[in-house]
Amino acid sequence: MDAKFRIRRFNPERDQKPYWAEYTVKDVEGTDTVLDCLHRIKWEQDGTLTLRRSCAHGVCGSDAMRINGVNKLACKTLLQTLNLNRPIQVEPILGLKVIKDLVVDFEPFFEHYRAVMPYFVPNTPVPQDGRERRQSPEDRARFDDTTKCILCACCTTSCPSFWASGEYVGPAAIVNAHRFIFDSRDGATNERLNILAEPGGVWRCRTIFNCTPACPREIEVTRAIGEVKLAIQRGVR
Amino acid sequence: MATLVTTITETLRYRGKIGQYSWAFHRLSGLGIVLFLILHVIDTSWAAFYPELYGKAIQEYQSPLFTIGEFFLVAAVVYHAMNGLRIIFFDYRPHLWHLQQKAAVGVFAASAIILLPTFIIMLGHTIDFWDRPAEEREVASLMDIIGTQSQFLLGFIVIIGVALAASFVMSLINGDEREARVVPKRPSQVDAWLWSFMRWSGVLIVPLVFGHLAMIHLIGSVFDINHAGAEVVGTTAINESGRAAEFVGRRWDHLVAGVAVWRIYDGLLLALVVIHGFNGLRYVVNDYAHNKIVNRAFNWAIVFGGAALIILGMAALIAGVDETAYRIASDLSNAASATVQNTTSPFGG
Ligand code: HEM
Ligand code: HEM
Ligand code: FES
Repeated sequence: MDAKFRIRRFNPERDQKPYWAEYTVKDVEGTDTVLDCLHRIKWEQDGTLTLRRSCAHGVCGSDAMRINGVNKLACKTLLQTLNLNRPIQVEPILGLKVIKDLVVDFEPFFEHYRAVMPYFVPNTPVPQDGRERRQSPEDRARFDDTTKCILCACCTTSCPSFWASGEYVGPAAIVNAHRFIFDSRDGATNERLNILAEPGGVWRCRTIFNCTPACPREIEVTRAIGEVKLAIQRGVR
Repeated sequence: MATLVTTITETLRYRGKIGQYSWAFHRLSGLGIVLFLILHVIDTSWAAFYPELYGKAIQEYQSPLFTIGEFFLVAAVVYHAMNGLRIIFFDYRPHLWHLQQKAAVGVFAASAIILLPTFIIMLGHTIDFWDRPAEEREVASLMDIIGTQSQFLLGFIVIIGVALAASFVMSLINGDEREARVVPKRPSQVDAWLWSFMRWSGVLIVPLVFGHLAMIHLIGSVFDINHAGAEVVGTTAINESGRAAEFVGRRWDHLVAGVAVWRIYDGLLLALVVIHGFNGLRYVVNDYAHNKIVNRAFNWAIVFGGAALIILGMAALIAGVDETAYRIASDLSNAASATVQNTTSPFGG
């Protein structure tokens, strides 16, 4: 079985504008991932193809790309989930500047991430025994879903509001704020809510729901954003 | 502005789920209704201030071009309303997000179910109108329409041009380089408030605008507005002169227990819809206009334009239609024999 690929390529040092390049990868199996095929193209056919990846197992969040029109991790996308009768389209995620081929500049994305204070700010002194701050299972469950984010940017770059304006902090930053806003041990809830109530914050979300299916970790992204909006309106519940 | 093109092309290319298309239609329908609303409030104010001109405007509304536009307008209002209710529901019940896809399909289905009988009735009114004897209907010609509508276009261009110039002057005076972004301790509550406003105003607008459209498109029709002898919808009065201004005047002067119900109704609708629609415009502008001067110009145009529209609409509601205007007109036409042409208009037209 062969798989055809159409890959959006761009080398700013050489190309005026991006173009589509076609490749055929021979003898693939349904259990191969798109990342496997991109590796084979790079290693066997065209060493100039540039992409970012690290773990190859859906943990590091390096290889988000738009595959057949939808944001996915190449390493988690099996060929058997795609239609191989047509070329598989692979292009960089949208809304961040393309550095080369499938590699985009993540700096604005991380800047938004840092803006929401994505770290624990204790609201109590260190416990007497010097060990961890305890929390009931229910309190822990409140934000369990949003601890799963790997910062791959699949959600943020699937969002038409983010395409429209890079000023929008985007779903990923809000998910990571949610993780601390709803943590009973955290003391910086109001600061985070204030940051997200600014013009670049949650009010730019139009509940389009592109982010939720884009998440490779199945985080309920739009729900998290909705809960943050309500928390700004009437406090954390 | 570049991101506007990107967003349009990529919304077509990105294989999002149905929510993406719901959003595109919500935005397009909202913008379409706002555009109509601006013309509509200006037109309606003529009933009070330039009754002759209002008559001409209604004749334009009766032309085939506008009739087609009306079907689109009604569809836009119905879809936007249904979809708006869906958005509001999930905003306040985010944990039910897994029902969102079904709800989005349901919105399209509900809109179709509402629109089908609506369109049949509207089509019926349209056919009845074109069945009338030719001398009983007088619609505006295409050239008239282009003539008047191009003035609106010119008006928009002038307003945006003035706003751009003012914003540019402002940047010269102020020096826009003072960029230092300070995170305020307590951010402005305006956006949070407007977010809530978009939702509760939406809920209130649903019955108001549906009632308005039902009166004008189902119970009555656009073709009844200047139909002599027709009952004025929502009142017990008859439009004797067959002047469009009389129709509006009769409605605004209709009292229930001493209260001018349609004035209050229209005033509520006016205020809610203009603020809702213009804040929606602001959302769209802030998405796509990134140049500081351009963005500020559009925001000014929106704030001043919205305020001006509300003032104009309210002024018309308060002034009302001069009753003697259509009294004289109907007396004249009653007195006049069939041979006397109705050119002796008391409005000097
Ligand atoms: C083609 C469709 C429509 C027609 C023919 C129409 C007709 C009219 C008429 C005859 C009036 C005069 C007052 C009255 O009768 O109550 C009026 C007023 C008004 N209509 Fe409509 N309408 C239409 C659609 C809409 C829509 C979609 C909206 C809301 C977005 C709307 C908002 C208003 C408002 C706010 C007023 C009061 C204006 C003022 O105070 O000056 N109309 N309309
Ligand atoms: C009929 C009842 C209506 C309901 C339930 C409704 C509901 C809504 C809601 C909930 C939003 C916010 C969307 C968001 O924040 O993502 C919205 C946006 C908007 N509405 Fe309405 N609305 C209604 C009528 C109208 C009317 C009559 C107009 C025009 C005058 C209008 C124009 C707009 C515009 C331009 C937007 C902004 C769209 C965007 O940002 O994508 N709406 N509407
Ligand atoms: S390569 Fe690490 S997530 Fe795919």
